[in-house]
Amino acid sequence: MAAITMRALTKVYPGGVRALDALDLDIADGEFFALLGPSGCGKTTLLRTIAGLEIATGGSVSIGDRDVTGMAPGRRDVAMVFQDYALFPHMNVRDNIAYPLRIKRVDRRTRTEKAAGTASSLGLAELLERRPAQLSGGQQQRVALARAMAYTPQAFLLDEPLSNLDARLRLEARTFLKRLQRDLGVTTVFVTHDQAEALALADRIAVMQGGRIRQVGTPVEVFRRPANTFVAGFIGSTPMNLLDAVVQGGRISVAGVSIPMPESAAGLVNDGDDVTFGVRPEYLEFRTDQIGGSVPGEVVVVENLGSSSLVSLDLRDGAGSAQVVVPEGAEPEPGDRGWLLPKPGRALLYRDGDLVGAASAERTPAVGVAS
Amino acid sequence: MSTVSFVLTRILRYVFLGLVLGFFAIPLLWLATAPFDRTPKITTSMPDFALDNFRTLMDNPYALGSLLNSVYLAGGTAILVVVLAALAAYALSRVRVPGRDALLYGLLLLSSIVTGTATMVPLFELAFRLNLIDSRLGVILILSGGLLPAAIFILKDFMDSTPTSYEESARVFGAGPLRIMWQIVTPVVRPGLATVAVWAVANVWGNFLVPFLLLRSPDKAPAAVIMYTLYTEGGQANLALLSTFSLLYSLPVVLMFVFVSTRYGFRFHGGIKR
Repeated sequence: MAAITMRALTKVYPGGVRALDALDLDIADGEFFALLGPSGCGKTTLLRTIAGLEIATGGSVSIGDRDVTGMAPGRRDVAMVFQDYALFPHMNVRDNIAYPLRIKRVDRRTRTEKAAGTASSLGLAELLERRPAQLSGGQQQRVALARAMAYTPQAFLLDEPLSNLDARLRLEARTFLKRLQRDLGVTTVFVTHDQAEALALADRIAVMQGGRIRQVGTPVEVFRRPANTFVAGFIGSTPMNLLDAVVQGGRISVAGVSIPMPESAAGLVNDGDDVTFGVRPEYLEFRTDQIGGSVPGEVVVVENLGSSSLVSLDLRDGAGSAQVVVPEGAEPEPGDRGWLLPKPGRALLYRDGDLVGAASAERTPAVGVAS
Repeated sequence: MSTVSFVLTRILRYVFLGLVLGFFAIPLLWLATAPFDRTPKITTSMPDFALDNFRTLMDNPYALGSLLNSVYLAGGTAILVVVLAALAAYALSRVRVPGRDALLYGLLLLSSIVTGTATMVPLFELAFRLNLIDSRLGVILILSGGLLPAAIFILKDFMDSTPTSYEESARVFGAGPLRIMWQIVTPVVRPGLATVAVWAVANVWGNFLVPFLLLRSPDKAPAAVIMYTLYTEGGQANLALLSTFSLLYSLPVVLMFVFVSTRYGFRFHGGIKR
């Protein structure tokens, strides 16, 4: 087990694409760490650079106290689980799991025993003779994990570990994966484009965009206090409402309505500043009557989410639209008028795309503590 | 359309198909019957069953040896082509080489010339200077050179459709390039290797020109060349020998196709179905 440290890590592809841009990141020993971002943000390149499958064009990567920047992948002592699992189709489950040991020149008996042991700890004992093509997606994933475990590496690298599973299996596998990581206690870095997956699994998350890290923090930090409007829009099953606003006399004006200043931004902005008012649809209250500090709008779309509904409203004066989560039984109809009231303590203020507040000044600490 | 013209079209179509079928089937039928006929003729008929022809063939000093020579040449070429083509195709599939496709197409184009009639003289000259005249190795090398480009072309397709994640996975676990080639890539592209091997064998088996030019001593000549010598003293084609020898000559290739296709199925099943 080991911590992973990246300093000014840069990767420029031959075509001139800058996939990683002077990136600094510390992943603590034993941590379950998510690299999250939209496609093309460099998260997979970062994972492959840690594995050694891509060679960094600048900066350094250390695993534990070893600088592995120029080291061949096989000498870095990390195990990678690929998105397609990369199980060798011509080997049965046992040989697949034992393959890393075969490379390490472990004798046949020891590696067969080890493979059987690892397989049974993941509930694969019955499947040892099968070929990968005869396994379900979930079983293939567990074989890939078992193969990585048999290698007993310093760190696990998982590339989109859940994306090849169907929706129902994905939840099951997510719980399984979290439990497995906690039991093993091995530093694990995984890549995902699914913010829900990152929030559910990770101890800490790095949100990436365009080869840079936009925020590093625990799921709670990233969800509650997104450091910038990009993270705010990316995290959460429904993106945060981001409304243009102006500071006026200690309050802010949104769509022509004066509402109280979010507490976290109090005293940090000046009168007349152009700001962005951010509040999650879950933290807005939908009202059918007007009260002080509520923003009026007209219902355009109602989407059923099961136990609640997501209601989209057009705001007055072309101030854009906003979404609000309404509990079941209280859904309005399209065309209805309604007022949106932010819940106290949940709204955030952004200036020039960055969060206004105490946390943004001190910067989210890079080194977190594994739970 | 009326029923009559429909039926007429049908009849015409089957007559046409029957004629085409006969055109191809009758020579094969001859090959099956003539060797067992007491007096084989150029026409196909029910044989007057006898095995005399085979006895005559045994008496020919070069007939059986030539089949072994063919096996030797075809096997040697197939092994050389498969090994070299696999290595080259793997490299070309995985390493970014500028102008790779142009190189491949260029080689493919040129290869049809190399073993062709056009280069008979330079090839002979080259073999002579390299002291490869009347050497089986010379024949194998020249035939391999002719087959390699197409073999690389075929195998590169197989390599391309093998996910790179297999190799990357093995690399992260510490496997070197040769180990990956041998333990991961080769088994996955095995159907492709089998296809190329069969294709190479069939090509060499049927090649007359190259061994005819380069091999002097009749005891080294392969079956395709010996077939050319099966004449009666009068200069007539010796049908008794020719038919029997043709049958023996075609059997190994047919058997090989049957064996390989049941063993490997000529299917590509690399990768896991998703």
